[in-house]
Amino acid sequence: MSFLETRDLCLDIGGFELNNINLRADEGDYVALIGPSGSGKSLLLETLIGFYVPEKGRILLEEGDITAFSPDKRQISIVYQDHMLFPHMNVFENIEYALKKKLRNEKQLEAEIRQIADILGIGGLLYRKPTTLSGGEKQRVALARSLVVRPKLLLLDEPFSALDARAREKLRDLLKKAISEYRTTVLHVTHDFEDIWMLANRVIIIRKGELIQEGDPESVFRRPSHSFVAEFLGTNVIKGKIKARNGKLTVLEAEGLEVYSADSAKPGEKVTVSIRPEEIILARTAIESSARNILKGRVSGILKKEHLIVVEVVIGNTEIKAVITPTSCEILDLEPGKEIYAIFKASNARIIGRTGNTD
Amino acid sequence: MGIACFFTMLFFSAAGTLLFALKPSEFLSSLFSEEIIYSVKLSMLTASISTLLVMCCSVPTAYALSRFTFPGKTLIRTILGLPMAFPELVMGLALLLLFGQNFLGPILEILGIKVTFSRLGIIIAQFCIAFPYAVKIIYSTFEGINPRYEQVSRSFGYGEFETFRKITLPMARSGLFASAIITFARCIGSFGAVLILAGGSYMYTEVLPVTLYLNISYGNLEMAITSGILLMGIAFLAILSFERLEGGKL
Repeated sequence: MSFLETRDLCLDIGGFELNNINLRADEGDYVALIGPSGSGKSLLLETLIGFYVPEKGRILLEEGDITAFSPDKRQISIVYQDHMLFPHMNVFENIEYALKKKLRNEKQLEAEIRQIADILGIGGLLYRKPTTLSGGEKQRVALARSLVVRPKLLLLDEPFSALDARAREKLRDLLKKAISEYRTTVLHVTHDFEDIWMLANRVIIIRKGELIQEGDPESVFRRPSHSFVAEFLGTNVIKGKIKARNGKLTVLEAEGLEVYSADSAKPGEKVTVSIRPEEIILARTAIESSARNILKGRVSGILKKEHLIVVEVVIGNTEIKAVITPTSCEILDLEPGKEIYAIFKASNARIIGRTGNTD
Repeated sequence: MGIACFFTMLFFSAAGTLLFALKPSEFLSSLFSEEIIYSVKLSMLTASISTLLVMCCSVPTAYALSRFTFPGKTLIRTILGLPMAFPELVMGLALLLLFGQNFLGPILEILGIKVTFSRLGIIIAQFCIAFPYAVKIIYSTFEGINPRYEQVSRSFGYGEFETFRKITLPMARSGLFASAIITFARCIGSFGAVLILAGGSYMYTEVLPVTLYLNISYGNLEMAITSGILLMGIAFLAILSFERLEGGKL
């Protein structure tokens, strides 16, 4: 049995719902929960912590059924995007309030508060009121308050989304340090894929209250099980028909382009192929390499996304996205309308869906 | 802007007329008369008791309306809001009938409680007039507090009541003070319902608005104006405190 388990969890609160959620997490796991807005991610967290009572299903934590427990009996903490620091208490009192139910001894209390304050770098803020803190500082205090009680499970509901990129990066590092120190199991709702790559060892994708896919980040990103997942994750999704087998490779014909995939499929079969944007190389000429797919197209758009550049290339009637660095963009002298080659390996064109044989 | 200035001047002139209608010596002699002293004491006592009762009842009522879902919630909210739209005299008449001889009166009499034409009637009338206002202000205050604060507190091992006491109440402090001030002002200025339920007996159920009314009836303008000035002073202090609380300056 897993450390955390939900069995057929169902709840409908009008507008948001959970449909037969079967979720598992082992002790020490850092699980990232992603999905479009309104998919029920936050509702799932608030059901796990006991703010909502499920209509059906069970929640098991450390082999015990906690479905009927009130929130104060579950030993689960939560950090929200808007931190929810008690405004009438200073930072020290906020953390102390959380710990007081566990520890009565004043000296131990203070030692624990100082320890978490040191880890999260808020030692100098202890006697400040929440209203005087910056967004990043507030979130560090909220994390400290939730971690200091050493919860069995820590729930994070988009804790970094209101912060700028630099504060986010810093907080991620601090969180990583604190989590390893307190050995907490974490369930983290996020929209930021960097959170997944930096922190999570497992990813769960949820849509309309249903769990769509779960696995380690590598496998979910490289092998989305569903075209929705691929699109949501920003992967290029190409739908087409298998034209032929060429040795060990499969040749797919999509709208105006031919793609080689290392995955096997029968000729005539309709398939969906996923290609990660960062696995596509852009070149000015058709360079010879081990990559089997060399597709000629035209740049249709150049978008800046945080530290990287997303280049949209139209090949035949299909548009694909490639991610490159700003330096590469400068070297290639890219601009809309310019001819460019998109190069990728057959092993990077993954068949993620089959809709049957048309022949 | 012009309209605001016009009405401010109009209210100021009306208040000024009241303030300067009496010579200081006339005002002072009325102020220290036995009747006014009795009336002020009774008004302060009944309004304080009513405010306390209103606050004790309106806080849980407003909290339940704000935080919980239960059948008939909308109906309850509508009924609780009704007295605000009711003329005070109608409210007084309804209370007189309820506590009179046809309904609750005989039962209460067996228990030794007399509501009609008594000081207890003043408190009940004031309570009924002020309660809906208090519920409305406190309800808005609770609605302004994100329930997630309470949920976070619960997750740290605190029960519902403990969370209410340690998190919700301190966060609602300004709204509760504002509500108490408005309640007190409503209670002390309440006239129609008090007159009908408790009667306007000289030096018995005589609160400040009743003093004003009785003395106007006798043609004793000095006493009536003095009562008016006192009521206006109390209302001014209440509104001033309320505005400062609303602006978070207190």
